[in-house]
Amino acid sequence: MTAGNAEAASAASATLTVNGLSHWFIDPQSGSTVHALDDINLAIQPGEFITVVGPSGCGKTTLLKILAGFLKPLAGEARVHGSLITKPGRDRGVVFQELAILPWRTVRRNIGHGLEIQKVPKDVRAKKVAELTDLVGLRGFEDHYPHQLSGGMKQRVAVARTWASDPEIILMDEPFAAVDAMTRQTLQEELIRLTVETKKTVFFITHSVEEAVFLGDRVIALAARPGRVKASVQVPVPREGRTWETMTHDPSMAACVEEVLGLVRGEHEATLASESHANADAEQAQET
Amino acid sequence: MTAIPMPVLRTSPWSKVKKYALPIIPFFLLIGVWVSVIAIADPAIGILPRPLKVLQVPFQEDEYWPNVTASLGRLFIGFLVAAVTGVLAGIVAGLSRKFADFIGPLVTAMNAISGIAWIPLAIAWFGIGRGMVVFIVWNGAFFLIFANTVLGVRMVPEVLDRSLQTLGASRLHILRNVTFPGALPHVMSGLRSGLGFGWRAVIAAELVGATSGLGQWIFIAQEFARADIIVAGALTIGVIGLIMDRGLLAPLERRTIERWGLVESSA
Repeated sequence: MTAGNAEAASAASATLTVNGLSHWFIDPQSGSTVHALDDINLAIQPGEFITVVGPSGCGKTTLLKILAGFLKPLAGEARVHGSLITKPGRDRGVVFQELAILPWRTVRRNIGHGLEIQKVPKDVRAKKVAELTDLVGLRGFEDHYPHQLSGGMKQRVAVARTWASDPEIILMDEPFAAVDAMTRQTLQEELIRLTVETKKTVFFITHSVEEAVFLGDRVIALAARPGRVKASVQVPVPREGRTWETMTHDPSMAACVEEVLGLVRGEHEATLASESHANADAEQAQET
Repeated sequence: MTAIPMPVLRTSPWSKVKKYALPIIPFFLLIGVWVSVIAIADPAIGILPRPLKVLQVPFQEDEYWPNVTASLGRLFIGFLVAAVTGVLAGIVAGLSRKFADFIGPLVTAMNAISGIAWIPLAIAWFGIGRGMVVFIVWNGAFFLIFANTVLGVRMVPEVLDRSLQTLGASRLHILRNVTFPGALPHVMSGLRSGLGFGWRAVIAAELVGATSGLGQWIFIAQEFARADIIVAGALTIGVIGLIMDRGLLAPLERRTIERWGLVESSA
């Protein structure tokens, strides 16, 4: 695999770089040390939409937490334009899987929250909020509270809030995992449109191969236990104008899904095998 | 087109009446039992007073209202101090899981001690009167408010905190916009039960540690075999407790918290 060399060559111009990143943590149940990430190397270019896909236990959420600055890696480093990531920052917006907007703020005040923190003048803020409200299709719901919205609409608020404060990089942690399948496809298409329009650098985590290929310029397939980069696959169709309609009829996209699926499935089977192996070991250990 | 006519759905006007009127029935049942006991057993007036006699107490006894206001004043001061100290200390303690775990067992132990246990010592510290009663009220309410606030702060999802960190929010901003509003449902239930326990503490402390107030009045009435005053005093305590809880704190809870969809109506 030459992915590592390619990453190194492009690192100089990259927005986000990850070098030799490794991390371990203690499993709270068993008390044993888990090797979560093993020597991860990545270089993400300005305006690139990277999707990261892998089986559970491949450390993808750990990786995102490190990039967001919530977690310090035990070895290696992550940098934005050459400066080391040590804590959360306004340059890296995060859209979480869980509901992360404030229930006691209306849609309008949630979307404008980042601008409020930046002390952006009220009229500028109102204009920006209106713009994003339109962009994510929430016009007419500005004065609603989150509990009055559907799951998909709540995630739209979270996306709009992140975009409103205009971070350079956006980290997304399975943001559409909790919404129903129909809504998810709409949200994915909207995200394509939004990112093409705003040219953000995006790091998007998912466990769905279809989602990873549909959204990404490039798909990073992770292997599990320990989490490591298995392959980096370029998606053959430009992101502009991608819809689920074209996706299902484009043989090159279908081939790409097959390729990534092959990588991840092989990984999934290996994980299952090692799990059953580990279980067998544990059973034997208990018997003796 | 054979459309089914749309049914007109409306909530029955009876539902509101039922909600507020039905709970009055148990009160009348209690009075019914009371009247029957008097009719059947005919106890001495010092043992069990007639309902009518009790009802007259607020209008015929000059000491009634001054004693009510004395008790309420002490409750107000003690509760105010307990609310401010309990919420502030609870937020500070709740911010650190380690500190919350560190202080938790002590708070549970202090909360388990009935407030009356401190009365002898409180008299030694503050003498008879307002200071001592206020202390006992504070003691009765503080630990409940504190423990609930700590719980409330701990229950705020960490993701809310983190999401604001990524927007560049300061600690203070997160405290004001996430921690406090997020903890509010538990803070409110702490205040509600704190007020209830504070009110009980007032009466208990006044029995022996004051020269005025409903508790003291009830205590004195015993010497004169004035069962009507005792029952009137006790019922007043109950009615005031009911009004404070349902009339004051429950609507406050509804207005702030239910609008956000954080809790379902409980009262």
